[in-house]
Amino acid sequence: MQFVEKIVKGERAAIAKAITLVESSRENDKKESRKLISELLNKPGKSIRIGFSGPPGVGKSTFIESFGRYLVEKNYKLGILAIDPSSQITGGSILGDKTRMIEISKNPNTFIRSTPSRGSLGGISIGTREASIILDAAGYDFIFIETVGVGQSEIMATNLVDIFSLIVGPGSGDELQGIKKGITEYADIFIVNKNDGDLKSEASKTASDYKSAISYYKKSSEAADKEVLLVSAIEQTGMEKVIETIQNIVLQNKKNKNFDERRAKQFTYWIEEEVREIIQFSIQNKIKEDGSISKFSQKVMDGEIQMFDAIEAITQNLQNK
Amino acid sequence: MKTKNSENYTKWQKSFEQETKIDLNEASSETDEGIKIKPVYTKADIENLSFVDNDSLPGQLPYTRGPRASMYTNRPWTIRQYAGFSTAEESNEFYKKNLKSGQKGLSVAFDLPTHRGYDSDDDLVMGDVGKAGVAIDTVEDMKILFNDIPLNQMSVSMTMNGAVLPVLSSFVVAGEEQNVNKNLLSGTIQNDILKEFMVRNTYIYPPDPSMKIVADIIEFTSKEMPKFNSISISGYHMQEAGADNVLELAYTLADGIEYVRAALSKGLDIDDFAPRLSFFFAIGTDFFMEIAKLRAARTLWYKIMKDFGAKNEKSMILRTHCQTSGVSLTEKDPYNNIIRTSYEALSAILGGTQSLHTNSFDEAIALPTDESARIARNTQLILQNETGVTNTVDPLAGSYFVESLTDELSKKAWEIIEEIESLGGMTKAVKAGVPKLKIEESATKKQAKVDSGTRVVVGVNKFKNPKEPKVDVRVIDNNRVRDDQIKKINDIKASRDQKAVDKSLAKLVIAAKEDSNLLACSIDAIKNRATVGEVSKALEQVYGRHFATSLSVSGVYGKHFEGDEDFMNVAKKVNSFEKENGRRPRVLIVKMGQDGHDRGAKIVATSFADMGFDVDMGPLFQSPKDVAKDAIENDVHAIGVSTLAAGHKTLVPELMKSLKQIDPKSKIVVFVGGVIPEQDYDFLYENNISAIFGPGSNIIESAETVIDLISDKIHKDN
Ligand code: B12
Ligand SMILES: Nc1nc2c(ncn2[C@@H]2O[C@H](COP(=O)(O)OP(=O)(O)O)[C@@H](O)[C@H]2O)c(=O)[nH]1
Ligand SMILES: [Mg+2]
Repeated sequence: MQFVEKIVKGERAAIAKAITLVESSRENDKKESRKLISELLNKPGKSIRIGFSGPPGVGKSTFIESFGRYLVEKNYKLGILAIDPSSQITGGSILGDKTRMIEISKNPNTFIRSTPSRGSLGGISIGTREASIILDAAGYDFIFIETVGVGQSEIMATNLVDIFSLIVGPGSGDELQGIKKGITEYADIFIVNKNDGDLKSEASKTASDYKSAISYYKKSSEAADKEVLLVSAIEQTGMEKVIETIQNIVLQNKKNKNFDERRAKQFTYWIEEEVREIIQFSIQNKIKEDGSISKFSQKVMDGEIQMFDAIEAITQNLQNK
Repeated sequence: MKTKNSENYTKWQKSFEQETKIDLNEASSETDEGIKIKPVYTKADIENLSFVDNDSLPGQLPYTRGPRASMYTNRPWTIRQYAGFSTAEESNEFYKKNLKSGQKGLSVAFDLPTHRGYDSDDDLVMGDVGKAGVAIDTVEDMKILFNDIPLNQMSVSMTMNGAVLPVLSSFVVAGEEQNVNKNLLSGTIQNDILKEFMVRNTYIYPPDPSMKIVADIIEFTSKEMPKFNSISISGYHMQEAGADNVLELAYTLADGIEYVRAALSKGLDIDDFAPRLSFFFAIGTDFFMEIAKLRAARTLWYKIMKDFGAKNEKSMILRTHCQTSGVSLTEKDPYNNIIRTSYEALSAILGGTQSLHTNSFDEAIALPTDESARIARNTQLILQNETGVTNTVDPLAGSYFVESLTDELSKKAWEIIEEIESLGGMTKAVKAGVPKLKIEESATKKQAKVDSGTRVVVGVNKFKNPKEPKVDVRVIDNNRVRDDQIKKINDIKASRDQKAVDKSLAKLVIAAKEDSNLLACSIDAIKNRATVGEVSKALEQVYGRHFATSLSVSGVYGKHFEGDEDFMNVAKKVNSFEKENGRRPRVLIVKMGQDGHDRGAKIVATSFADMGFDVDMGPLFQSPKDVAKDAIENDVHAIGVSTLAAGHKTLVPELMKSLKQIDPKSKIVVFVGGVIPEQDYDFLYENNISAIFGPGSNIIESAETVIDLISDKIHKDN
């Protein structure tokens, strides 16, 4: 059987190998990866991709376990890409997210892949988009992407997911002041976790802080409303409301074309990114071969030519090649 | 003014520096606890001590010198060997033999399914029945365990924490059915759940309901079982998991404080239950430190209990059991272990323990054989009968060194206790996972010292025996034990009054919901022949089963090896592997079955990560099927199985099968680490295991083997 067929059929090992391929830093693998992805793009599935972002320790993994358990009970197939922040100086890492996803990882209707973030963006890693295309083709209903780094919400939202949710802890409302704008703009759902035990009242307060923060936000006429939800991942409370909200947002955004527009934008963005990368790569090669930069800078040092004239000359030179 | 003392000291210092050519200020050594040990101690070192009172005598507050005035001069410590394996029948035979040969008290080791509240017929415990202790499924097993052992005369200690309710209930009912009323039962139930969450890992329910159960037991026993110790507050497992002595001491006493609070919350008067709190410490190889630890523990507990407002003297006295350290014992050149254990035992005695277990020399290989158990017991008989150590109480009192060490340990531990108190106590700290992480950090440091050779372990990293001796091994056929147990369970289930069972279990559930005392209800259910698993599951309906989320230390191992050639060599190999393969070598490290020994797995994981590996850390208690799914989804290069509780012969082949089931062409390299008797090596190799790393393995060397094996596999396949 062909690799692509195996993936589409949902063979676990093939999906896993495909993700390895798209994450690989080897040049050869990159070519193969492009080939594979373009084939898979012809076999789109029906996944909804949801991002879960938030600072370390707020309970993203625990929430995914808890919410995931709720979904698999309803017979949904669930693909999870967990980007683990724990990279070290030496470059190695301990990937521990799965120790928080014990129940769902046993379920045959889940596929869970952890990837070390390698510190690149502190959030999204190389290959995350491609991995979600693989899981989509393999027939997963939902694809969850767990990332750290609230600062990356824009990249995440505009690049990768249909719904972007931010998980926060009780008491985090105070931090809202400074970052109000960015957050309210990109997140579709705010999930206040740890709404349990002693933390309950603090959690409610945080939720109202967020509610008042998003009230400043002027949404485009038809887009779905942003929601603030209270959950306890540990006690598995508030989960119906989460799925309800997700389904509502999907429904409404599909109706008003927001959903497709967002995906179209992501494609445009993706293409732009790839083009940029290819050009950058070839320019870098040209610069290396050409050698005119060092030649000209010597001339600048020797006073033979003005710096900005030199830059102009070099650029001209490279563009003509 | 120059005193004679200081003149002498100056003279001595001069001679010392001449002899050693070292400046005295630089001649101190540092212990794991970060305590500076000087080459000499003088009178000046025991003036102005903070906790120790130099004028106090044995049996007098603050009890530094011992809980009683006469100590071993009146009655020696109790020789209490911890044992249990396979069926109740076999363990019972073993106990009776030992009692005949001079052992005084019994101490029951249960198997892991019992610890975790599963019956032997549960699918989850396939590889674990009877392997690391005795299997108890019903009160009938408990009765067999004490067959011909009169429970009104024998003091019985039971290491049980998770499934404490059904097991203690079975003990009470077994007594009743021997015609011994519960108020005559003597002994100890460990019942220390906090350290389970930290290091021992046989918890069942989440921390809060677990603490309620502890309090229920203290409440019940304080009223109904006056001769029974309701808890054994244990530091032992912490040291075995890697804690240094200050951590062990501080966390144990902080746990004690938390239990006292839990009992007080039941409305009990402190003097009603405090005299029945007992302790349990490990005695490692640091000879004087261990002596000082026991003396410090008594000193601090006195202070703690006085602050709680205890009036009865017995409430303020810390009584303890001790066990020599298992982790100090080696697989290599195992007869050395007899010597190590002897020194440790002497330490415990000089520290004034009330009872003692000495380990067998085959500790790092398997459960003790009859022969190795005999030698271990004789270690104590020789100490009691031949050495004269019982003739004088606290013979090291007044030693400048020991007294000052006692005080210093007390101070250091007190700081940590206060820190924990300021965080809101041990339950909170345990939930946040901080103590566990601190212990793992300490364990990782110790490993780095051994792997780098900074710490010598004779026969392991120095003075190796070129001709390793062959030793006999106790073999347990867990399939046979499991079949026997299942048959017994089925028989009982067929003959019992099912309605009565259902009713008593339903009552237990209600009691859990209503927050009333659970032990009384659980005794009823057990009397009706409900199984240990059924009682545990009933409570699970209310409380849920606890899954631990654990944090990992990072950078601790690597830091010790900055600039080290072997370490850098592996790191380099990892880097070129990444260049060649487009990603780092990725290894999944797992624990399967009910084996909760996670020290080795966690240390190996953090060390491998420090060398540049990507390490997936599996949770505890995975099934082989779960591991296979996890490994394949993450497309790891290798799986490292860490197995210490003897489940390997069942679980490893099961894993290999599961891998092939998901991916018939799986190329994942599988290797195994932990306690594996040598005679099992061939069996594992036949099951396509690529390498085995036994106790004492150097982690850097292991990492190199692993990356080489992975690379070989990739090259062969291309
Ligand atoms: C420490 C210890 C404990 C601690 C565990 C603390 C913890 N959190 O880990 C405590 C005190 C809690 C404990 C409890 C019990 N223990 Co215990 N314990 C030990 C002991 C003394 C040392 C194990 C250890 O941690 N060594 C230090 C670490 C660093 O070494 P390691 O794990 O072997 O790892 C090294 C290598 O093996 C290798 N390695 C291991 N894994 C891996 C993985 C990979 C990927 C690689 C590359 C290498 C590798 O590299 C490591 C570095 O050198 C052993 C005996 C011994 N000396 O080995 C008994 C031992 C394992 N315990 C035993 C038993 C029976 C128990 C109990 C079940 C007793 C009972 N009935 O109640 C309980 C229950 C524990 C549980 N939940 O499972 C038995 C098991 C019997 C058997 N195999 O036949 C042993 C062998 C003792 C004995 N002879 O009776 N124990
Ligand atoms: N009280 C409470 N604690 C939680 C909850 N969810 C997660 N936690 C705890 O928060 C810590 C971090 O959880 P984790 O899922 O690893 O967070 P992540 O880093 O965001 O993925 C763990 O100790 C969890 O037990 C919750 O709903 N309530
Ligand atoms: Mg996480």
